[in-house]
Amino acid sequence: MASGVQKPTLGKLEISKSAKGLFAIFMFVGLLTFLIGLTVDRERIWHSYLTSFFYFASLGLGGLFFTAIQHVSKAGWSVNVRRVAEAMAVFVPIAFIGAIVLGFGGHALYEWMDSSIVANDHLLQKKAAYLNPGFFYTRLVLFFVIWWLFTKFIVGNSVKQDVSGDEKLTLKNLPLSVAFILIFALSYSLFSVDTLMSLLPHWFSTIFGVYCFSGLFQSSLAMLILLLVWLMDKGLLNGFVGEDHLHDLAKLLKGFTVFYAYIAFSQFMLIWYANIPEETEYYLQRAHGGWYYVSLSLLIFKFIVPFIALLPRWAKRNRDYLKIVCWLILIMQYVDIYWMVYPNFNEHHITFSIWEIGVFLGFLGLFLKIVTAFLSRNNLVPIKDPRIEESLHHHVTY
Amino acid sequence: MAKKMSGVLGLWSDESKVLVAARKVREAGFKKFDAITPYPVHGMEEAVGIKRSGIPWVTFGAGLLGGVLGLYFQYWVASVDWPINIGGKPFFSLPAFIPVTFETTVLFAALFSVAAMILVNGLPAVNPKILDPDLTSHKFAILIPNNDVGYSQGKVEDLLKELGADEVRLFYDY
Repeated sequence: MASGVQKPTLGKLEISKSAKGLFAIFMFVGLLTFLIGLTVDRERIWHSYLTSFFYFASLGLGGLFFTAIQHVSKAGWSVNVRRVAEAMAVFVPIAFIGAIVLGFGGHALYEWMDSSIVANDHLLQKKAAYLNPGFFYTRLVLFFVIWWLFTKFIVGNSVKQDVSGDEKLTLKNLPLSVAFILIFALSYSLFSVDTLMSLLPHWFSTIFGVYCFSGLFQSSLAMLILLLVWLMDKGLLNGFVGEDHLHDLAKLLKGFTVFYAYIAFSQFMLIWYANIPEETEYYLQRAHGGWYYVSLSLLIFKFIVPFIALLPRWAKRNRDYLKIVCWLILIMQYVDIYWMVYPNFNEHHITFSIWEIGVFLGFLGLFLKIVTAFLSRNNLVPIKDPRIEESLHHHVTY
Repeated sequence: MAKKMSGVLGLWSDESKVLVAARKVREAGFKKFDAITPYPVHGMEEAVGIKRSGIPWVTFGAGLLGGVLGLYFQYWVASVDWPINIGGKPFFSLPAFIPVTFETTVLFAALFSVAAMILVNGLPAVNPKILDPDLTSHKFAILIPNNDVGYSQGKVEDLLKELGADEVRLFYDY
């Protein structure tokens, strides 16, 4: 790569009919499961919906966050991989629709929405200034409007530049990205507190937002690498994205795998140490019965295994190997959100079946459809970015 | 670089040329030669054929050692030598010991890595010989020592000139 022997040839992504059909089947299965679930097991289907919605909304936001960091740090190396992250970000407006749908499940999910429960609960009355349906919906819509606008402008500028080559668009994206990161830190924290933490309304953890963010970025990087490897295997990025780009992305993935463990342990240890009943409630639910093993699996498969797997240099440069690690992380991200949602409702037993898988497939089909459609509509690389030369000659030394 | 060496040195003032030259010198069969540049030149480690450093293994081993020692020390203090009941928790409470274990892991890994780096590089080298003052600002050098495979002074001088060196001369005791 460094010597530039290989002439870069940019491919064009064509989505085969069978792939489109598969996405459509996934979406259909998802919709069907959701609708049948609403009549058969209303509560359960909303738990499942929340889990999958949070999973994919986070992946979309992760793509936008990655893009924003590259603009803020004026990174040159990442220009050639940025378009794929932008494609993930395009899911944010779709997740907005998902958020509106989630609104209808509010009463099935959140006990603080039930006025009869609140009437007999002193603590919930005190929290009602924040935890009330009106304010909840307002926040949900507000956050998604903000995120959607940032997606529109940051990604929009990048796509516009492909045609005009105007360097000012890069300059415009800098303040936008700074603003996004600042707002994102607060809004995503509150978003995770609203949608996940308030499932157990008496419980609180001040680090909860960061915990969700660590999962967001870890899984987004894994998804980004998987999509890139998929495009590379098709031979569409020859000369644009190589081992060196994957190497750096995998370094980030390893770093944020450690970050996840750090945050998860910080949350756990402080609660375990202080041993105050109103805080330990959350971990008690997750330390008994089958949930104990789910908790343990997070430690092992979301931190220890990927961390050790990503330690060697060759591991970060081998496509097939990276694929396996990324798959593992993406699966564990689902387990993580599942672990945050389900024990609140099923304290003594684990429930996992078609209701969870079906809704997840639905979201997966939608996500892949949106991402691949964006990638086939646009260039796979921001070809007129002023910093592209730097990325074309990106080289990682030993 | 612990041993002093002598041989032939060529100077270039163009980064791209010295990169090509380094590759050609390696292809000519030389193994012990080195390149000196004022800043890191991308692709140079590959052109000269420098192997990866073994220091990561030192880091890994030292980190492991630090972690084990740190954890064992806490276990010995808290449950063997001077057990104290803290908040009714078991004497050996793993979560409470993790932060210190982490710190000793990082501490050992970092200190041993730096020590290994200093050792491998033969630092601190006081008053090293200066081959050419311009090597720290705008010139690039390739050094072929006289104990290299297939070294003969005339042949090496010709090779370096052929590769476009601005200047070719002998060096001693570097």
